[in-house]
Amino acid sequence: MVDALVLDDLTKVFATTPAVDHLSLRVRAGELYALLGPNGAGKTTTLRMVAGLLKPTSGSIRVFGVDALADPAAAKQMIAWAPDEPMLYDRLTPMEYLEFVAGLWGVEPKEGRARAELLLKFLGLWDQRDQRCEAFSRGMKQKAALAGALIHEPRMLILDEPLTGLDAAVSRQVKDLLQARVRGGATVILTTHILEVAERIADRIGIIQAGKLLAEGTLAELRERAGELQGTLEDVFLELTGEGDAGHEVGADA
Amino acid sequence: MIGQPGSTLWLLGHELRLNWRGLMGGRRGAWRLGSLAFVGVMLLIGGFPVAWMLRGVEAPVNNLSILAADIVSLLVFSLMLSQTLAGATDALYTRGDLDLLFSSPLDPRKALTVRFASLAASAFASFGLLATPLLLPLALFGHWRWLALLPTLAALALTASGAGLALAVALFALIGPRRTRTVAQVLAAIIGAAFFLASQTRTLLGAKSGGLAMQVVGAAADPRLRLPPLADWPLRAALGDPLPLAAMLTVGAVIFLGVTAWLSRRFADDATSAQGADAGQRRRPGRTLGPFAGGVFAATFLKEIRLLRRDAALLAQVLLRTLYLLPATFLVLRNAGGHSTYALAAGAAGIAFLAGQVASSLTWITVSAEEAPELIACAPAPAASVRAAKLLAGLAPLIAMLVIPLGVLIWLSPVTGVAASAGAAADAIAAGLINAWHPAPGKRSEFRRRRTGSILTGLALLAVSLLIAAATGLAALASPFALAPAALAVVALFALRRSPGQIADALAARS
Repeated sequence: MVDALVLDDLTKVFATTPAVDHLSLRVRAGELYALLGPNGAGKTTTLRMVAGLLKPTSGSIRVFGVDALADPAAAKQMIAWAPDEPMLYDRLTPMEYLEFVAGLWGVEPKEGRARAELLLKFLGLWDQRDQRCEAFSRGMKQKAALAGALIHEPRMLILDEPLTGLDAAVSRQVKDLLQARVRGGATVILTTHILEVAERIADRIGIIQAGKLLAEGTLAELRERAGELQGTLEDVFLELTGEGDAGHEVGADA
Repeated sequence: MIGQPGSTLWLLGHELRLNWRGLMGGRRGAWRLGSLAFVGVMLLIGGFPVAWMLRGVEAPVNNLSILAADIVSLLVFSLMLSQTLAGATDALYTRGDLDLLFSSPLDPRKALTVRFASLAASAFASFGLLATPLLLPLALFGHWRWLALLPTLAALALTASGAGLALAVALFALIGPRRTRTVAQVLAAIIGAAFFLASQTRTLLGAKSGGLAMQVVGAAADPRLRLPPLADWPLRAALGDPLPLAAMLTVGAVIFLGVTAWLSRRFADDATSAQGADAGQRRRPGRTLGPFAGGVFAATFLKEIRLLRRDAALLAQVLLRTLYLLPATFLVLRNAGGHSTYALAAGAAGIAFLAGQVASSLTWITVSAEEAPELIACAPAPAASVRAAKLLAGLAPLIAMLVIPLGVLIWLSPVTGVAASAGAAADAIAAGLINAWHPAPGKRSEFRRRRTGSILTGLALLAVSLLIAAATGLAALASPFALAPAALAVVALFALRRSPGQIADALAARS
């Protein structure tokens, strides 16, 4: 089976600072992959390159076997990108927003209309379908943006911090939706700072730091690697990244 | 910071600091400061000869001067009112730090009073800064009492701020929060334009304005004319008469403090409810339940048209810019001489130029002020289709605006009408293409301060627009010389043309 995403020796240098440094990783088709890392590790830069929003300095990106740098349109057709700040238009209603996104991805109008109805009902936005997004709460905006990401039924869904700022109910709804998509055969790649979420829903986890892949595998494999056999993902993450040491030092000083 | 933390003075200091940094901050801050200083010095230099001439001259207080002062005061007041009304409604929506202030233990009324005092200060500063360099030489040459113009302006600013706040609250109650913002912004733009047009009466009316002015002057100078009581207050106050000055300041302060004390609680409530202004307001559900627009072009075009239609304030701002071109157009038409053919040709050229200017603004909004650029960038949609849809959407309001006048012109004068139509279309398309080839990403809210791609691009845009306007004028005269500027415009467009790859690279370099 073709891998959903293959990054090979991917590098992005801003001025002289490498944000992503010879990164290679594989995401299998139909899995939920969590990309973790401390702030500034290069997670978002990596995902933006996959989404076609940034040109890598070097390296290659293959999406379901398609060279995303040589044929970006074909790769984009299979991808949905949902950043942490919802890409919405305040003066459009969710229905109009979905109509626009469906048009961009070339979804048949009748099909798009049916999918929009289904998504808005599932996400609890049906009653607000004719209200402008400007008055929406963050959670509602996030849900509308998620509906936009799903309207063209992408084979790969890339989400940057999808749960930030959501309340428990919306957060649960989003997680359920992502898992349902994975069960339906889609691939989901997400970044999150909420490690419990990654621990609970991710099939595999990649940890990057300073633009390099530090470790990758299932939770059990990562535990083994970190020597934290009973530890939580937080313990494993802090052990592997060395981020916990600073906290210990501050605590000791206090 | 001055004053005790939490005190009115301290809050005022905070507001002034924010305003100052807003004015001087950013990359253009130094440029703005330099421009202000330059204008100030120029006015100061120009003020000395005027002051020298006016030394020993006492300003006459008669019907004519009183009426003139009243009219000027009314105009200044209108402009201040439009400024403060827009500021008050912005405070309702663009809350900025109001959330922080309201969540603190400070009395919300105090926070709002200070916010409105800062609005009044801004309104005063617009005129005060302009008047000061002229007043200083006058004061040096003996007319120190005329410095009273500054407190008179302050009194007007206080009154305008109170009225602006009251009007904003009244509109909010009458027509709802969203429409209040639109109405306030459109009103502010109209008052601004009206002020400008009033200052251009002579240009607009030409020789007739002289006769009209003489009639007005004659009527005003008639000793039988009885002006209403207190009509002489603005003039006397500006000339330093203590009683009217104190009275105007007192009235201004009472209106300002009274309105803020009376309405600030209400305003605080309105500011809170403006947050959920759209919640629960359904928009004719039946309209969006039809089948979706199919394809990249249709979906993008529809989206841009919807966004333009729903930003009435922005659209008004763009279309009202055409008013600013009216005096120039009138001037050209009149000076084109007695021969009506030349006048019509000049008119056709004016229409083409106007179309280019409006198209430039509208296509900047649709092409460069994209609210979700990443959404478009990560879509598999062909960039050319997206761009074409955006350009057409940007030109659509212009087509709607010009179709009737051009139709009438074609009916009245077919050659001129066809030349004007072709010229307007060419100028508008050229402006749109230049905007598409040299996009300057920005936010719609930054329309007034938008950047063009570069100074060179801005100049090229103007040059192409003028060349096409010239070609239009000559074509209306059926002159073969029309081909020369037209050819130059085409050459310039070819030079400015960029491939999709070059556009993408330029955008990447800017981000």
